Parts: sequence; C-alpha cells; structure tokens
Amino acid sequence: MADINIGAFKMQIGVISCSGEEMLGGTLTRMATRKVMEELRPGQAISLCLPLFLAGGEEERNFAKNFPVISVDACEKHCARKSTEKYSGRVRDCVVLTDFLDPEVIFSKTVSMKDLTEEHYHMVDKIAEEICKKIDAASAGS
Amino acid sequence: MSKVKVAACSGIGKVFGLLSREAGLKVTEELCPELCEAVCLARVMTADEDAKESIEGKTCIAVDGCPKMCAAKTLEAAGGNVKAAFRAVDTMRAHRGEDAGTGTYLTEAGWNMAGELAEQVSEKVKELAKEEA
Repeated sequence: MADINIGAFKMQIGVISCSGEEMLGGTLTRMATRKVMEELRPGQAISLCLPLFLAGGEEERNFAKNFPVISVDACEKHCARKSTEKYSGRVRDCVVLTDFLDPEVIFSKTVSMKDLTEEHYHMVDKIAEEICKKIDAASAGS
Repeated sequence: MSKVKVAACSGIGKVFGLLSREAGLKVTEELCPELCEAVCLARVMTADEDAKESIEGKTCIAVDGCPKMCAAKTLEAAGGNVKAAFRAVDTMRAHRGEDAGTGTYLTEAGWNMAGELAEQVSEKVKELAKEEA
C-alpha cells in the first residue's frame, strides 16, 4: 500500500483581491495575489476571480463556501470581503492595504504594469507577505 | 457632458483579464482621458452607492476578458447604459498562435494586443462622446 503523507497535506485557501481599477492599490492587490499563487504558496493559494464571482460564477462561489478565503482589499470599502460574504459566507481573514501602507500611495493614480517602479514591487512583496501570513494561520487553524 | 465610463474586468485567473485591464487603462489614461474615465468594477458590483450613482443612466463601455462578459453584465445590472462591449479574447483570436503572456505579465505580443484593443475602445469612446456632445 502506498504511503500517504498526511503531514504534507496543505489545505487549499482561496485568495480574492479587489483589483480596483481607479487606484494604484487595486493593481498592487492583483499583483500580490498572483505572486502568492504562482511563487509563494503554489498549489495551496487559489485565486478567485472577483468579477466572475459577482457575475454568478458558481465554481468560484462554491469554492468560497467550502474552503477558507482571504480577501485582499485596497481600501476601506472592502469590496472583495463584502462580495465574498454576500455570496458565500464569512471570509477567514482579510488584508487591507491602507492598514499597513501609506494611503496616499494606495489612493494614487493607477499605472500600467509597464510603469511600475522598484518601490511598487517592494509594496507587492510586503502585501504578498501579509497574505502568506494569513494563509499560514488559516491553514494551521483548519 | 459626463465622461464615458470605461470598465475593465481585470479578471485574475488568465491573460484575458490582464489584457482587458491594460487596454482599459491605456484608453482612460493615455488615449482619451478628456473623454472617458475608469470605473472600479468591484465597487459597482458591491452596490457602493457613489459608484452606482456614477453609472446609472450613463454611457458605458465594457472591456471584458472572456466570453463570460462580467463587466458588461455588472454595468447593466447597475443601470449603466452599455453602448459597447469588447472582449480581449476576440483580439487574441486575431493573433492565433501568438503567446500573449499570463495573468501576471504580458509578452511583447501581449502588449501589442492590449494596444490594439485599446485603439478599438478609444475609437468607440470618441464616437460616443461625439454623439453626446
């Protein structure tokens, strides 16, 4: 019989970012979520598409009903968290950029990916780190 | 005259979403910022009062990534007057075989596609702005 390594099992955790189009913070939430999913917690972090979630995507909604979800919002409107809670139930935890980054930067004009600076990439790393902390806590508590 | 509202889907899972996001941004920031403005789709979706008010009865353009058309559906549900809806997947179809990138980054071909889509959207913005003037 093949060994099953229970210790290596990592519960999948959904990450839903606001990706707001009117401010830089939205770009940063999107990039950080992608970074977590592709580089930092691949296979464990599953990105949920907010527009699809809200437009009736059953797959996204069911995932959020059955697995823990971390919302990543740029501002205090908490659009990603509110949407998840409206359609699928409470989020496990949330990351809000204005809680730990300069709001003036978060609310500044959004820029193309082409024009992002080194400072922006540092912010993405910081946000991604926060998301990972929440994922690890959710995973440990599950 | 109020500016034409441009909403990109920004879907996170695939390259289509990034193409729509970058195309929308190019239109609102570079090609015709005096005629149109970006709308934060998540805010409209969550029925944020300010965002809804800015959409209701207004001329809108949706820039979606995939055939699910989430941006167009959301604008319509919020009472927006959706005069045109674009899909990044259609732009990609015209470049079959070319690698546009992923949901994280665009290749040179992907940037070209985003530029092409942005040109189409900006032509529509100009046309609609002219009609409304």
